[in-house]
Amino acid sequence: MSAAFSLYQSRDSGLHRLNPLTKMTIALSGVATSLIVSGVWGNYLLFLLILVPLSAWGQITYSFLRAVFRVVWPFAISIFLIQGLFWTDGTPVIDLGPLSFKAEGLLFAVISVGRILLLVGSFTLMTMSTRPDALMIALNQRGLPHTLSYVVLSAIQIVPMFQAKANKIVEAQQSRGLETSGNLLKRVRALLPLVEPLLLGSILDIEERAIALEARGFGRRVKPTSLLILKDPVWEKILRWAIVALVLALLAVRIWLW
Amino acid sequence: MKIQLESVSFTYPGGVEALRDIDLFIKSGDAVAFIGENGAGKSTLAKQLNGLLKPSYGRVFVGDWQTSNRSVAQMAGRVGFVFQNPDEQLFARSVREEVAFGPRNLGREEYTISEDVEMALKQVGLDRAINRHPYDLPTPERKLLTIAAILAMRTPVVILDEPTMGQDAQGIARIGRIVSDLKAEGRTVITISHDIDFCAEHFPRVIVLSSGRIVADGVPSEVYYQESMLENAGVIPPQIARLSINLGLPSGALTDQEFIQIYKEHR
Amino acid sequence: MVYLKNLTYRYPRGESDVLHDINLTIQEGQFFALIGPNGAGKSTLCYVLTGFVPHFYKGKLSGTVTINGRDVFDTPLPELAGVTGLVFATPFNQISGARFTVREEIAFGLENFALPREEIIDRTEKVMKLFNLTDLAERPPTALSGGQQQRLALASIIVMRPRLLVLDEPTSQLDPVSTHEVFSALDSLINQEHLTVVLVSHKLEWVAAFADRVAILDQGQIAADGPPEEILTSAELTIHGLTPTQFTAVSLMAQRTGLIDSKKALPVTLDQAVQFFK
Repeated sequence: MSAAFSLYQSRDSGLHRLNPLTKMTIALSGVATSLIVSGVWGNYLLFLLILVPLSAWGQITYSFLRAVFRVVWPFAISIFLIQGLFWTDGTPVIDLGPLSFKAEGLLFAVISVGRILLLVGSFTLMTMSTRPDALMIALNQRGLPHTLSYVVLSAIQIVPMFQAKANKIVEAQQSRGLETSGNLLKRVRALLPLVEPLLLGSILDIEERAIALEARGFGRRVKPTSLLILKDPVWEKILRWAIVALVLALLAVRIWLW
Repeated sequence: MKIQLESVSFTYPGGVEALRDIDLFIKSGDAVAFIGENGAGKSTLAKQLNGLLKPSYGRVFVGDWQTSNRSVAQMAGRVGFVFQNPDEQLFARSVREEVAFGPRNLGREEYTISEDVEMALKQVGLDRAINRHPYDLPTPERKLLTIAAILAMRTPVVILDEPTMGQDAQGIARIGRIVSDLKAEGRTVITISHDIDFCAEHFPRVIVLSSGRIVADGVPSEVYYQESMLENAGVIPPQIARLSINLGLPSGALTDQEFIQIYKEHR
Repeated sequence: MVYLKNLTYRYPRGESDVLHDINLTIQEGQFFALIGPNGAGKSTLCYVLTGFVPHFYKGKLSGTVTINGRDVFDTPLPELAGVTGLVFATPFNQISGARFTVREEIAFGLENFALPREEIIDRTEKVMKLFNLTDLAERPPTALSGGQQQRLALASIIVMRPRLLVLDEPTSQLDPVSTHEVFSALDSLINQEHLTVVLVSHKLEWVAAFADRVAILDQGQIAADGPPEEILTSAELTIHGLTPTQFTAVSLMAQRTGLIDSKKALPVTLDQAVQFFK
């Protein structure tokens, strides 16, 4: 049984110890920057010079790069093929029989993939180095309603719980002679006996879980204590504002250059 | 149908060694109870018998079939497996359809299916619920329904995982009668259960598992009196056995009658 | 501690009363066991004792329920949470889903009560020790086995120190040795903290060994109520479809066959049975 549907990688590192809000600021500014930066290689440079060193600080470089590339490469391939081959009125650079890669298309693809790389990288870095519950507590302290953070957190755990339940259902139905492999028709026919208990069973589960939550005072309106202590030293606050200022400056320059 | 395990070991993908070098022969028509504490390997062993798990090392035979060469769906024709939690398998719109699912998967003819369905439902006492929705039944009856769903498949081997869990006295008595019926029909019955009194009453062979090994295998009148072995395996003996042991009576009694007899002789 | 008067209840869209005219008083510090056939209304009574009837399940309700001096019908659920705690059979559904380690899962209820952090830590550690969970403290709750989750569910409620603890088949997935450990832990809590426990269980052997009062519920009504030695050896037991422990059954047989004086009180536990036959 897997633990939680989360990318979080537990390490004892400076990056991990940063306040979740600081990491969220970095992630959001990464997203903003990826949209602002206009140069061809700018986003790639930022990825290499900021995100990769940060991931090294967090001792997660390998899994970070792997996770990012897993998400990015399908986008990259499709963008290169579609934009490269089907750019109208472009300058052909590589001929492939009736089709050809166009220079303008390829350039556009390089820029787009750069944006996606920085965007995905920023978020991946945050989620890999930040415990989801710590992030939610930090946001709760900034006014996010507790019920909302519960929904987010339980969703993260419910995926593996669902998986575990689904595995048991598959085992039970196979033991009743259900063929789950084979041709498409067979597999479609196998779907109902697998999906139905998951749904019907989950309705019962939700009712019980609601009761269990109430029994533990979840409905109380007081501001809960948190077992997890989040440090937020002054330098981190300054750092966050500095990052925001930097992104705003970048935006201003961009508008001014336009 | 006979079952044979030849030096079977099994390690889960996570690295947990659940079964270690198990040799076991279960003859056709045997009724066997696997007992032991949580995590002893009982469920893992049971899942080897219908091919849900294949041995990491060694071989498992059910009749002349080797499980590693068969799909679970194929094995289902020979080994019926009743799982613990009914809510992890019931799906049909009616009790009838639910019970017909297994026989249909096995490719039986429709006219024999409806006969088997009715028979199985009668056996578990749900014949009057045949047109109801499975999820309209209370949990203990849903569990009986999953037993019927396996009985209707008429497999030569039946495995019952914690069959008495959540049942009241009458439900337990009903399941006891089902086990007796299966034995009378010459089918091989296997249970995994913490309900030691239920095991002692209905299963003439008992196998104790501990840390993935078989630590005892024999008749109840002997195994249930091996105090220190059971204690090491985390098993509390049946009530009559404990009473006899505490009174210093000779071992062997498991039923009220047997106890009275021995008590009379040694008072 | 618990005071039920003329309680009658019917679920919404129910065709008949699940509970009918129940009168019941439970003293503080009592280990009260509720037994009866399936469908008797035991689980519903558990919901009444924890306020889920009528605050979660609506329906037709009459009578009064008072727990620790509070009228349950007038007290909203969040306020009842610290007064009365419920643990039920399916451990999987009692995991909050909001916490990522066993330790934090146990602390969840206390966090909701906004207790000081030091007190949360202290109480969490103690309860983990009591229920043998210390070694699992850093594990994710979803990765535990059914039996471990069941101990976690108990610990998560007991850590909140409710005055009344309502347990509906709380050890269904535990092996007998762990069950014994859990009941022994509960027993020590009753003695040390005057906790009141209501236990629903089919396992009469455990009921006999740990409860100091037993009631039979059948068809929504209390059919018998008294000390285990009386109720578990009474004719009422079999009338309501229950089977006495084998200790009782074999002793009765010994009396009937004239081996033992028929005036001798029938045993319900192992120790009593040993005395009976000595």
